[in-house]
Amino acid sequence: MSNPEIGIMMLGLFIFIVMLGFPIAFTLIAMGVIFGYYAYATPDQLDHIFDNRIFPLLVQKTFEVMSSDVLTAVPLFLFMGYVVERSNILDRLFNSIQLAARNMPGSLAVATLITCALFATATGIVGAVVTLMGLLAYPAMLRAGYDVRLASGVVCAGGCLGILIPPSILLIVYAATAGISAVKLYAAALFPGFMLAGFYVLYVMGRAMLNPALAPKLVQEGPPPSLRTVTMALLTSFFPLAVLILAVLGAILFGLATPSEAAAIGALGSLVLAACYRALNFERLREAVFLTARTTAMVCYLFIGSWTFSSVFSYLGGHSVVEEFFAGLDIGTIGFLILTQLIIFLLGWPLEWTEIIIIFVPIFLPLLKTFEVDPVFFGILVALNIQTSFNTPPMAMAAYYLKGVAPPQVRLTQIFSGSLPFVFMVFLAMVLVYVFPGIVLWLPDYLYTPR
Amino acid sequence: MIRLLFFVDQLSAWIGKSFGWLILVLTLGTSYEVFVRYVLSAPTTWAFDISYVMYGALFLMAGAYTLSRNGHVRGDVLHRLWPPRWQAGVDLTLYVIFYFPGVLALCYAGWNFAALSVQFKEVSIFSPAGVPIYPLKMLIPAAGILLLIQGLAESLRCILCLRTGVWPARMADVEEMETAIMHAEEARRSGAAAGDAR
Repeated sequence: MSNPEIGIMMLGLFIFIVMLGFPIAFTLIAMGVIFGYYAYATPDQLDHIFDNRIFPLLVQKTFEVMSSDVLTAVPLFLFMGYVVERSNILDRLFNSIQLAARNMPGSLAVATLITCALFATATGIVGAVVTLMGLLAYPAMLRAGYDVRLASGVVCAGGCLGILIPPSILLIVYAATAGISAVKLYAAALFPGFMLAGFYVLYVMGRAMLNPALAPKLVQEGPPPSLRTVTMALLTSFFPLAVLILAVLGAILFGLATPSEAAAIGALGSLVLAACYRALNFERLREAVFLTARTTAMVCYLFIGSWTFSSVFSYLGGHSVVEEFFAGLDIGTIGFLILTQLIIFLLGWPLEWTEIIIIFVPIFLPLLKTFEVDPVFFGILVALNIQTSFNTPPMAMAAYYLKGVAPPQVRLTQIFSGSLPFVFMVFLAMVLVYVFPGIVLWLPDYLYTPR
Repeated sequence: MIRLLFFVDQLSAWIGKSFGWLILVLTLGTSYEVFVRYVLSAPTTWAFDISYVMYGALFLMAGAYTLSRNGHVRGDVLHRLWPPRWQAGVDLTLYVIFYFPGVLALCYAGWNFAALSVQFKEVSIFSPAGVPIYPLKMLIPAAGILLLIQGLAESLRCILCLRTGVWPARMADVEEMETAIMHAEEARRSGAAAGDAR
């Protein structure tokens, strides 16, 4: 067999092992080592079996991951998220937004969406948002007589916005994978993120206006709350969190701090916030610290594996086979984008975003040049696309989390069908981004093109 | 046997958690750098190096701890549907073929890499402060050895499961919030159901 054939075999074998359910990071490392040992073998390899270029390569890739200044932001953002998650802020946040939105059509659902978006943006952790809101807002909506499907869709879709709206960890990880500026990527994701959140809100309001039975107006008990009450409620819950997020994001976008510096400030701010809400004790701090360590290790070991694997894969000539394959399809830029996004959409069924971004996206990255696609633009399409992976079976994590905490009479199929319109809105957003690339590229161009 | 497993788990967890606390040093150190740069206009010469040394040490040494909690991501769509004996058999085979070669290579290559760095007491090239980085490089083989030990413990788990048909217990530890909530909710419901039955 020729080397490129071995390379393709390596990729096929890897996908097979992933499907068997073995921890992916270690599969990548071991396959990189085994195939690399073969690829770099010298004719007299058997005389000195411990002398092979794969060994320095492996440790060099490991050290590259360890000294990556982009990835330094990962544990800091995770830590910030775990602290915010434990800061008892969600109840107040939801109540204050609900008060402020009480006169809108579908007010509870709108409040849920906004709460989800804000909280998910601050924490960046999908599961926690969905379960917490599933216990808080979901029963409130059902009690108010909201349609089960609508209520489910709102919680599931809203909880996923945190991985798109910056400062999101997914974008940091993509930036590290693609070797592009995380700052530019954040600027690029801002409008698409708000656009998608806006679509969700408009959709819910529209449905509520067309068919009020889906989202009945709340029965007001007693006199309506005074403007003062509402303002105070917002000032003590909505504003502190919004200011924290905006400070982190602003510092990054205006170049005052690197993403990891801003993440450190955000983590410190979240500790202060938790202390102000009297939610900071040693037990919670410990939990946040340990979870940060585990999740960071999970993400960064994937990087070690992926970078080692892909060095060997391209040394064997696997990348050029993939490139020739795509070039031979003769599909043009649109065809390429549709095909790659379709593949990523399908990968989202069995896999989670970490694996998709760190392992499979790098296969497409070298092709972007051939098809003249901006890696920043591609990244936003991927980030949008991955929103759907949480809500499409068989591995619809958001739906499973909600099912786990929902009242027993709620069926999984109801949750799926409730999420479906939101999945379509993600597709709509992707089409709009493609037709009007300015939604993505205008802000980074405006901020970072020297004039 | 179980005691040996728990001892290894505890070792990995203790080391991983200890290094986990570096996140506080990372948070405070980096925040301090931003503070002195803007408020005092006197940036430090060491903050950048310290930040990546802290981050690198943190995640590298938490690898075995994460493995002991089954926290490394896996595509388990099919895996979770199989009976435990199947899962254990497949896992054990894959540990032998697709775990130990990589981890052993990490130990071996990491050792050579670190030994060279220690020999001339390597310092960081990014800053004039001369922050030593050979301790960080020494952690690579150390993490490799920890992963090796934890991998042996995981293989032992598979063997125990193959024998008895059930997975040996893991030690209790802090869970992701969604997992903790789902477990609490499940327990509440089964408790309520048991109450109804009575």
